[in-house]
Formats: sequence, C-alpha cells, structure tokens
Amino acid sequence: MDAIRAEDIVKKFGSVTALDGVSLEVAAGELFFLLGSSGCGKTTLLRSIAGLETPTSGKIHFGDREVTRLPPHKREAAMVFQSYALWPHMTVAKNVAFGLEERKVPKQEIESRVREALQLVHLGAMAERGVDQLSGGQQQRVALARALVVRPKCLLLDEPLSNLDAKLRLEMRREIRRIVKEGGLTAIYVTHDQEEALEMADRMAVLNGGRIEQLGAPTEVYRSPRTSFVAGFIGETNLIRATVSEVRDGYAMTECSAGLIVGRIADPEWTPSPGDTVMVSVRPEAWQIDNGAGSVITGKIRARSYLGRSIRYEVETVVGVQQVVELNPEVLREPGDAEVKLTARHSDVVVMKD
Amino acid sequence: MKRWQALFITAGVSLVFLVFFIYPAVSVLSEAFRGSDGSFTMAYVVEVFRNPVYVEGLINALLLGVVSTLATLMLALPLALMSHRYDFMGRKLLSALILVPLVLPPFVGAIGLTHVLSVTGSLNALLIDLGLMDPDRRIDWLANGKFWGIVVMNALHLYPILYMNIVAALANMDPAMEQAAENLGASPTRRLFRITLPLAMPGIFAGSSIVFIWAFTELGVPLVFNYTRVAPVQVFQGIRDLGQNPSPYALVAVVLLISATVFAVTKFFFGRNTSGAQPRPKGRDSEIRLTGVKSLGAAMVFAAVFLIASIPHAGVVILALADDWYDSIVPYVWTLDHFKEALGDPLVVPSIENSLIYSSIATIAATVLGLAIAWVVVRGNIRGRGVLDALVMLSREGKPFHFLVTLAGGSPILLLIASYAIRRLPYVVRAAVAGLQQSNPAMEEAARSLGAGPLRTLRKISLPLIGANVAAGSILAFAFSMLEVSDSLVLAQQAKDYPITKAIYTLLSTLGNGHELAAALGVWAMVFLGVAIIGATRLGGKKGGLFKM
Repeated sequence: MDAIRAEDIVKKFGSVTALDGVSLEVAAGELFFLLGSSGCGKTTLLRSIAGLETPTSGKIHFGDREVTRLPPHKREAAMVFQSYALWPHMTVAKNVAFGLEERKVPKQEIESRVREALQLVHLGAMAERGVDQLSGGQQQRVALARALVVRPKCLLLDEPLSNLDAKLRLEMRREIRRIVKEGGLTAIYVTHDQEEALEMADRMAVLNGGRIEQLGAPTEVYRSPRTSFVAGFIGETNLIRATVSEVRDGYAMTECSAGLIVGRIADPEWTPSPGDTVMVSVRPEAWQIDNGAGSVITGKIRARSYLGRSIRYEVETVVGVQQVVELNPEVLREPGDAEVKLTARHSDVVVMKD
Repeated sequence: MKRWQALFITAGVSLVFLVFFIYPAVSVLSEAFRGSDGSFTMAYVVEVFRNPVYVEGLINALLLGVVSTLATLMLALPLALMSHRYDFMGRKLLSALILVPLVLPPFVGAIGLTHVLSVTGSLNALLIDLGLMDPDRRIDWLANGKFWGIVVMNALHLYPILYMNIVAALANMDPAMEQAAENLGASPTRRLFRITLPLAMPGIFAGSSIVFIWAFTELGVPLVFNYTRVAPVQVFQGIRDLGQNPSPYALVAVVLLISATVFAVTKFFFGRNTSGAQPRPKGRDSEIRLTGVKSLGAAMVFAAVFLIASIPHAGVVILALADDWYDSIVPYVWTLDHFKEALGDPLVVPSIENSLIYSSIATIAATVLGLAIAWVVVRGNIRGRGVLDALVMLSREGKPFHFLVTLAGGSPILLLIASYAIRRLPYVVRAAVAGLQQSNPAMEEAARSLGAGPLRTLRKISLPLIGANVAAGSILAFAFSMLEVSDSLVLAQQAKDYPITKAIYTLLSTLGNGHELAAALGVWAMVFLGVAIIGATRLGGKKGGLFKM
C-alpha cells in the first residue's frame, strides 16, 4: 500500500478553475474522504489522482513514484465509478477478471482470485450472471470486486453509494469500510453526503470552490469547524456575528446584541484580538432551553416540529432565529410569546474567523 | 389522451398502410406464386434460380450489397472513432459537413461520377498531367460492368448512415465504461478492441444492415451506370412485359426475402439494448483535445473525406456548366446554355410541376399521419403503440417493400403519391416525437385542467410547442419526395406524368447533350434540396439529428 500525496494541484477547464491549489497527503492504509457540494472540485481531484484528468499544474505522488503524467492504465489505482461502469457485454466473472487479464495473471490464478473477490462482496453465486440481471446493490458490489481484485496501490471511490436506496446505503457503508480495512487498503472516497463521511472516514477534507476548507478527523471537523462554510456543511449550525471582548486559554468572550457568548477558538493557529469581528457557531443540539449553565440569550418559541426522537424549535432572538433541537425531550414546549432562555456550554460554542 | 382516441388513430393509420402499402405488396407477392390457372405455384421462384441471367443478377446485387457495405464501413468506422475520442480544430463544422453526402441525390451524383471515372475523364486526365499515367495506356475505371463505379457511389453516398449509427452507439455508452478499462490497466488499443468496439457492435451492425439493404436494392445508381446485370434493374426492365413473363414478381419476392432475413437477423442479434439496465448518471467524458499538427491532421482527414464524397456532385455541376468536357481535368470552355436548354425541353417544366404537386400532397399526408402516430407513440399508453412502431419501422427500413408496391399497377400516380408519403413518414414522425418528448405533458394537462378540450389543447398548446420540429420534418419529407428515384422511375409510365427524376433519367438516354441537360436539371434539384435542408435545420434540427436513420 502506498501513501498518496498531492501537491498544489491546479486544474482549469477553459476559464473555469475547478481546483485552485489543493495539497493533501493520504497515509498508507487510510480511508480518506473528499467532501463537498457539487462543483466543489472533489471529483476532479479524484479523477486527477486516477489519471483521467491531467492537472494544469501541481504534482501527484504514489509513495515515492511521481505519477502526474502517467496514463491511467499504468497507475495501479483502481476506481469504483458512480455509474459502476460495468460492461454489459461481459458476465460478472468476466468483468471482475478483466484487470487480471490485462496484467497477464495466469489463468488458474485469475479463477481463484475472481472467486475470492466475489466471495468478499458476498456474490459468490452470481459469477455467471449478466450484469443486467443484478440489482443496484449487487452491481455496486461487482464494481467494488472488480476494483479490489487487482490489489491496487490505492482504491478510488466516486460517490459509490449515491445510486442506492437509503437502507442499502447504510449497509454498504459498513461493508465498504470493512473491506477497505481488512485489506489494509489506501482509499480515497468522494461524496457529498456528510453523514457518510462522518461515519466512515479516518480523515476527511472539506472542499469548497476548488480549495480545501478544512482537513481532519470527523470528530475534529464536526466539533471544531474553522470556517462558517464547514460549520454549515458538516451538520447544521446557528451562526451569530459578534465582537471579541476578551481572549484567554483558547477561549474567547464575545459580545453580540443578545448578550455575551463564550466559546472555544477552533483554529489553533489563529488568535483573535479584542475588538475583532468573529463568527460564533452554536449547533442546534448545543442550545438548551431553560436549562443548564453557560452563555445565555433570550427569545420566544415561534414554531415546533415533532420529529419522533427529537423536537425542533425555532426560537426568535435579537440575533436572528435560532434552530434548537432537543433530543429525547422531557416536555413538549408550546410556541407562544413567553420568553425562554437559551443556554450553551462554553465548550459547545465555536468561535471562528468571520 | 383517452384510450379510444389512441385506438382510433392506430386503426386509421393501420388502414392507410393496409390500403396503400400492405395490400399492394401482398397482391404483388401473390402474383409470384400464382400460376396461369390461378393455383399456387413455386414455378416462377424456381425459374428465378434456374435462369442464369437472374442468378447472375442476384449474385451481383448481393456482391454490390456486401462490397458497398465493407467500403462504407472502412470510411465510417475510423471517422466515428476519431470523432468519439478526439477533439480537434473545427470538429463541430467538419462532423456536420461529412453528413452532407447522405442528402445529395446519388442518382444525380452518379452522372457526375461516370464523367470523372471514364477513360477520357478527369481522373485519367489528372494522372496523365501528373505524369503518373501513359496517355496511350489509360485505365478504364468503369470496366467490369461498372461494378466499382457503383460501389464507390454507394460508399460515398451511404457512409454517413453508418457514421451516425456508430457515433450514436458510442455516445450512448457511459464514458466510465472505457475509463474503467483504462483504470484497470488496458492500453488504448486493448481498450478499443475489448470494450469500445464490442459495445459499439449493435450500432455497427444496425448501420451496416441498413447500408446493405440499401445497396442491395438500389435501382437509380446502377441504371445511370448502365449496369443491367443486377436484380433491381432486371425487375425494372421486366415491368413492361409482366403480362407475358411474371418472373420479375418472383425476383422481387426473392429480393424481399433476402432483405427481410438480413434485417431480422440483425435485429435479433443486435436489437437488444445493451447500454445497461437502467439509465444512470453518466460519468464525465474524457475525450482528448488534440493540439498542433495532430489536430490539423485529424481535421484534414475529415475534410478529405468530405471533399472526396463531393466529387460526384462537383462532377455534375461541372458537367452542367461545360461546353465540351472531354479528356481534361475540368472543361476548357464554360457555358450556361445547358440550364436554358434544359428548361426549354418539353419534358422538364411539366415534370417540375408534377413533382411539386405529388410532393405537396404526399407531404400533407405524411404530416397528418406522422403527427397522429407521434401523438400516440409519445402520449398514448396502449398496445397500439407497438403496431405504430412496427409500421413506421416498415416504412423506414422497408426500401425493398416499395419495390413491391410500385409493381402493383392500378392507379400508378395515386400509388406514387402514397409511396412518397409513406416512405417519408419517418422524417415527420421522428421530428414530432422529438418535439413531444421535449415538451412536458404537464403543459397539456394544465390546459385540460383549465377547461380546454382535446382539440383546443392540440391547437393552442401542443402544436405551437412542437410546430418548428414538425415543420422541419415536413420540409425534409417534401425535399426527399421531390428527388425520389426508384418509385418514380417505375410508376410514372406516361411522359405527361413524369416527375423530375424520371425526366432526368429520360434526358440521360437522349443523344447529343443529354448528359449535360440531365446534369443541369440535377444542379437545380441539388440547389433546391440544399435550400430546403438548411431551412429544415434552422427550424428544428440540431446536430443533424433529423437525418438519423
């Protein structure tokens, strides 16, 4: 297994810049996620690593080997395509055997490796089927087996689950992570589904407008978003603009028209000074209504949605409507003109650059 | 659309086909098996296979079909693969240009080609000029019964059909199919042979079978080359004494059987949809943008094919303008006299009038029928759709069937108009179907919900939405009716009924400057066709989609 390193990748399509100087390093054996909304450049980055696009500038390394200009068929980076791209004129087994045949693997070995690969994805009995006879989930697994069977230096997955129904998607998340981890593979996985990334990734990079906004482990990205884009894209958040009044021990006290809010400073390389305008992010589940200790603002409940395991309230405050989610709620609160107190623990509030 | 409306339209269209197409065809076919006493007999069919003249005609027709198809494939396949994989300078324009030969009338082009390829034609004159040929030892390119002249004309005329079929097959393929092969270690050549070509096979075979059937049953081109030992021409020449000798009926039955077999076998093996189970988002294209010399080279290949394919028609134009064109690359003296003289010929002006009348009626009929068919196919949800699909396919792929119809006799001019209409029907259907598919049915439903009846909805909403498409299809139907060859040659038996193409053919066989006059008329026809097609394209055809077979 190789580590993958991308250095300052720029990719332009005509006048459009799809990637604007992206650098990242994926460690050997790591399951790494590229996450972003459509058009952010995540697929272009993946295709550049696969060799299906050539970067306008920048370098890509697999281990010690530079592969930037290498054609795709010499890269040993197997890809699972969003559309699966199974060849309809070949059986399941033939599809899976293709890469081995191209590598001139002896016939007997091909047979046994194809069998193993199909067993790994629980499709041992389907070898002689035509690919059109399979369900979406089965096709997805054939595509995975086809990529895995060549024992690639790295596995590239382009939104592999986006064509499956919700239940199957949950199942396949665990399945793919199991296969990648059991094989000790280096894998890069592109998705726009933040839940998928949070559940599966070792580390992830959030892309926006052709740049990496933040790179880190899922807990880190969720707990300590460094930009308001990341805070809003990974999960949901309430953003309040405020002015710094005091900074101490990685915490900042800020002032907004609703009062004082204390929060963690997410970016260790950044220290705001008193007087700076910053953005304060409070997750809906971090607000508590008439309960707990911490920073307090007041408001009125304007609307309520009952979601079963949780309740969502919209609370009107002087700094805008706050989304508040109560998990496993004890009481149902009625919308009305009564004033309520919203409280957030200092460690649950994140202070970031405006 | 209500069920009874769809059924009503289906029944109506079926009736028209029955009266003007299927009944004449069946009655001709039955002639092939009816003895002089009215009983069933295989004698005529047996006679076809025993008569060495007919056997030779059939073998020659088959050879023409096979060789023309191979020649067409050699032109079309490399072009299609190049335009699929590479982007190069002027690709958009060039890939449209190379489709042009399909719509130039091959019957007219053949006149030009005979002059380019004859012993004293342009090609020999050019080779002598370049010092590549000894003036005393010229090559007769049209020897051996003009076989190769016909093959060249067929290939230059028909390669766009195959090109479009292959390009469409490649375009329908998910680009990720090829990228996955590359990603798993296949080199570009291996990828071509293991993935791209196998996946394009249905397109290649579908196109090839159309080209084969076309060349196999072609009448106009062999006639111009005066190549009489081929089945369609033998049928044509046998028409006059069908009373004494019914074997041309049997010959047609055999031609039909062969064509239908080729068609059915292709449909059976390659008619399946192999593009994957359900439509999914396709991956991104990875065509290679060529630069510099490579880009220029690719553009030159396309330009060269277009130029070569226009040689026959350039020959027609030169011939029409030549005072005396003999043993030189281009004539020494130019003149416009042929145009004037052609218009003064007693055949010509009435033939133009006839063609205008026939084609207009045929176009109106085709438009009404085509709209009705498209309506049911797109909006109606009934079994009748299958019947209509089959009928349209019959009129699209059924070039050999028209042979039958044209032999049926009866009122030849009515049959001729019906044959024009039915044969050009697919142009209107395709255009209207495309228009209807693009417009959202909810727009019509909205009108219905606001109280408009079905007819008002049709008039106020649907027709305006698809009007441009239908007009484009109708213009094409009209233009191609004006230049229809085989049915016109066979059915119009009296000089006063001649349409343009029959007038051209008759002029060809008159002595003196008959060829020049025919060429002059041919130039008029091509100019007319060009204007019509540009009009149709501007109205509704994008990317040459209107001309897809």
